Amino acid sequence: MKRTVPLLITTISGFLLIAAAFIPATESWGEVVTVWFDILAAIAFILGGGNLMKVNLKKISDRVPGWGYAAVTLIAFLLTLAAGLGKIGSPPASDQEFYGETFASLPAAAFPESQVTRIAGEIPEKEEAQLPDSVRRQMSQEQGEIVFRGWILPNQIEDLKSFKQTLEWQCTVENLAEAAQPPESLRGKAFYYSDHSALSFRGVMDEASRTELAAMSDDTRWQQAVDSIYEASQKTTTIDVDAVPTGFAVPASLADVVSYSVSPQQLSMAGPMSRSQRDALINVFPPLRPASEAEIQQFIDELNGLGEPLTEEQQQVVERNLRGGWTAEELITVLDGAGQAQPVAKTACEMLAEKEQGVTEIDPFHPPGDDVELTNSQQAAIGQFANDESITVADLVDQLQAETFTGAQAGAMAAFFAASPTAGGRGKTIFQDLLKLPGTNLSTGQRDWLLADFRSEFEWKKSVYQLFTAAHTPKYTWSGPYQSGGNLFWWLYEYAFKPLTATMFAMLAFYVASAAFRAFRAKNLEAILLLGTAFIILLGRTYIGVAMTAWIPDALKAFRIDELTIYIMSIFVTTGNRAIMIGVALGIASVSLKVLLGIDRSYLGSRED
Amino acid sequence: MYQFFKTLDRRWVFLLMALAVGIPILMQLQFPEKPTGLAVVVFEEVERLNEGDKVLMAFDYDPSGEGELGPMATSFVRHCCEKRLKMYFTTLWPAGPQMIQDSINRVIRADFPGLVYGVDYVDLGYKSGEEGVIKVIVTNLRQLYTTDARGTNIDQIPMCLDVDNVQDMDLIVNVSAGYPGTKEWVQYASTPYPDDIRIVAGCTGVQAPLFYPYVPQQLPGMLAAIKGAAEYEELVVNKYAPDGPDPKYLEAKRRMGPQLVAHLLMIALIIGGNTIYFIERRRGGVSA
Repeated sequence: MKRTVPLLITTISGFLLIAAAFIPATESWGEVVTVWFDILAAIAFILGGGNLMKVNLKKISDRVPGWGYAAVTLIAFLLTLAAGLGKIGSPPASDQEFYGETFASLPAAAFPESQVTRIAGEIPEKEEAQLPDSVRRQMSQEQGEIVFRGWILPNQIEDLKSFKQTLEWQCTVENLAEAAQPPESLRGKAFYYSDHSALSFRGVMDEASRTELAAMSDDTRWQQAVDSIYEASQKTTTIDVDAVPTGFAVPASLADVVSYSVSPQQLSMAGPMSRSQRDALINVFPPLRPASEAEIQQFIDELNGLGEPLTEEQQQVVERNLRGGWTAEELITVLDGAGQAQPVAKTACEMLAEKEQGVTEIDPFHPPGDDVELTNSQQAAIGQFANDESITVADLVDQLQAETFTGAQAGAMAAFFAASPTAGGRGKTIFQDLLKLPGTNLSTGQRDWLLADFRSEFEWKKSVYQLFTAAHTPKYTWSGPYQSGGNLFWWLYEYAFKPLTATMFAMLAFYVASAAFRAFRAKNLEAILLLGTAFIILLGRTYIGVAMTAWIPDALKAFRIDELTIYIMSIFVTTGNRAIMIGVALGIASVSLKVLLGIDRSYLGSRED
Repeated sequence: MYQFFKTLDRRWVFLLMALAVGIPILMQLQFPEKPTGLAVVVFEEVERLNEGDKVLMAFDYDPSGEGELGPMATSFVRHCCEKRLKMYFTTLWPAGPQMIQDSINRVIRADFPGLVYGVDYVDLGYKSGEEGVIKVIVTNLRQLYTTDARGTNIDQIPMCLDVDNVQDMDLIVNVSAGYPGTKEWVQYASTPYPDDIRIVAGCTGVQAPLFYPYVPQQLPGMLAAIKGAAEYEELVVNKYAPDGPDPKYLEAKRRMGPQLVAHLLMIALIIGGNTIYFIERRRGGVSA
């Protein structure tokens, strides 16, 4: 039995693979067998690891000569294994973390009954399809009503909408999405993630929110979850910062949660920080305004004063970059473009109402409204902003909003300034462009001056990221990749495995050289032929072979060393190898058949095993 | 003198080899490269593809082969980026994922930041099973690759939505340091599906002779060792950065300098060894 079962597995798998190769209808059988082979190959790594441990532990235990090397092997193996499996030093995967939110475990059953939504309707029955995974725990059909336990999330709405493409169902989902929400004062703050069995709160939970949430249910688990989030969200994180941007002031949108103290120079964050808060804090550097001719000249003069004067070509590079910023006209064009009215999609309920009224050709969009163009005074405000550094972006927004200014225009303006270079970005670009020019030799003073703004922006960005990470409580600490840059596994790979394996391979050159001197002898005709071929190949694989025989006229170019190399490789090598390969293939076919038919059982081990 | 060379300590040979490699590196010794037929075919195979075509980048090597294969991997990625091809990175070597990451960081993130992960390139990571993996994915990619290397479901990656198997790829680019590698891709991918799968490869010098029998039917083009890499590099640079590229795109050419001097040393050592052998034979020290 011990030998029969493996033999049967081998035989069946082997013949299935042969059948799959020749009969297209059995292709999927071959796939299944090969997938099992792949799974076993993965398991072989575990067996290999176990074997490595066993062999080396025995060597150490027996104190055989060289047992120290076995110890090194074993320690390296265990260290790498622990570093990789334990993901030591790996940050959690950013796409699985909920930045800016605080969590508390809460089973769906403990969710307050007052927050259970019931709407009229029926969950459609679909053949071979259940409700989407994301809502299955929370949604049910009870007495002609759809019951949803908890607050619905945007991804759940999308999943439900794609469940059935009828107007009736889409309208039901819209009604459910409207109803299954937390009270108005908690919208956008409180969430329930049924997949994670967790209650969440965005930002710092104030006393009013705590009271309102706590009043929803007397269930102890609910009360504990609310209290736990309240306490955790009160955490204040403070970090030391080396430098802050010139004239730094906390952005108005973050004034409630971010504070900055001058002495000691510290930045504090109340509660967790979201990605948008992080970005708002990073992007405090004003977008560059268009440089005037005088400013360009001053920039060049200052750069010339710090080292070797710029050549004409280098000056052109600098001027091109300084003139390359945005202009007031560009911003006006962008805002006018964003002000163009766009058709608004109708809701499913609106379309359903039209359908019930007998409309046969339903237009899915509302007709667009009127275009909004900037007025003369708004355009003048932009022109003034472009030329006056004392006006901030916030001031400009206030001026524009004094008249008609749509949300789309505000978004377009934010995107426009986000894409505009800052002083740091421009300095770095000029620096890089200058280095690309042949013969550029900037002095240390010129380099430092060009990169000064970029360095301070980088330092600030680093500080904000440090605060962002410190203020966050990881939800899944183990979710990060095992090979994250800077973690222990990465360190072992970069500074131990990589150089050691490369060294092992490189050492071949030394041993081959030694062997060439000692063993490569022209003892007979075959050895002489081998030596001659070796010379041609060694020369032909480098430029020296080309240079040595370049004088040979084209009519006789077949005798050039590089051509001879190609000839040898493509004729002699190919012919010899093909013969060997055909022979090996026939041998493999023969041995495989013996194995599959059970004639050769040596791979099963000896009978005594 | 004869006695000195006859009993030459091998450490002198090691020292000579170290100098033969080290000095050209320090002196930045470089020589011109003339692309040969196989490198031109590899270049043209990538060149004939159109923007948005799919290329499977099978990087089957690890740090031990990086010296020979790293520069050609860099050139392959650069060439595909310039052509705006969709790149699907995969490896059958356990230490291969880092090689993929190195290439992505070196070329895509550094010089083509506009390319978007999941839209223009994706890292499918490592799969165990050697040729077993190839055998499955040539007919059904999703049987084995349910997620990418980051753990994202393959059905949520835009560029994977219309890929069912390797036959949907317009080209396979394989960089191989041994088993599993080019031989397995040729045997299990391009040979059974000659009309649907085309492959070009870059391999180490010791493997090259084994692959010549597959050229040109099963393997249209091949870059053999650092010489092949330098030739391909020359073609890519001439076409896409004739005004002087970043030095990282000329790495193979730079490594040809030490190779030339090392080859000359090898020839000198063989000649020297044989001279001693013949002198010894004339004196009756050894028999033929």
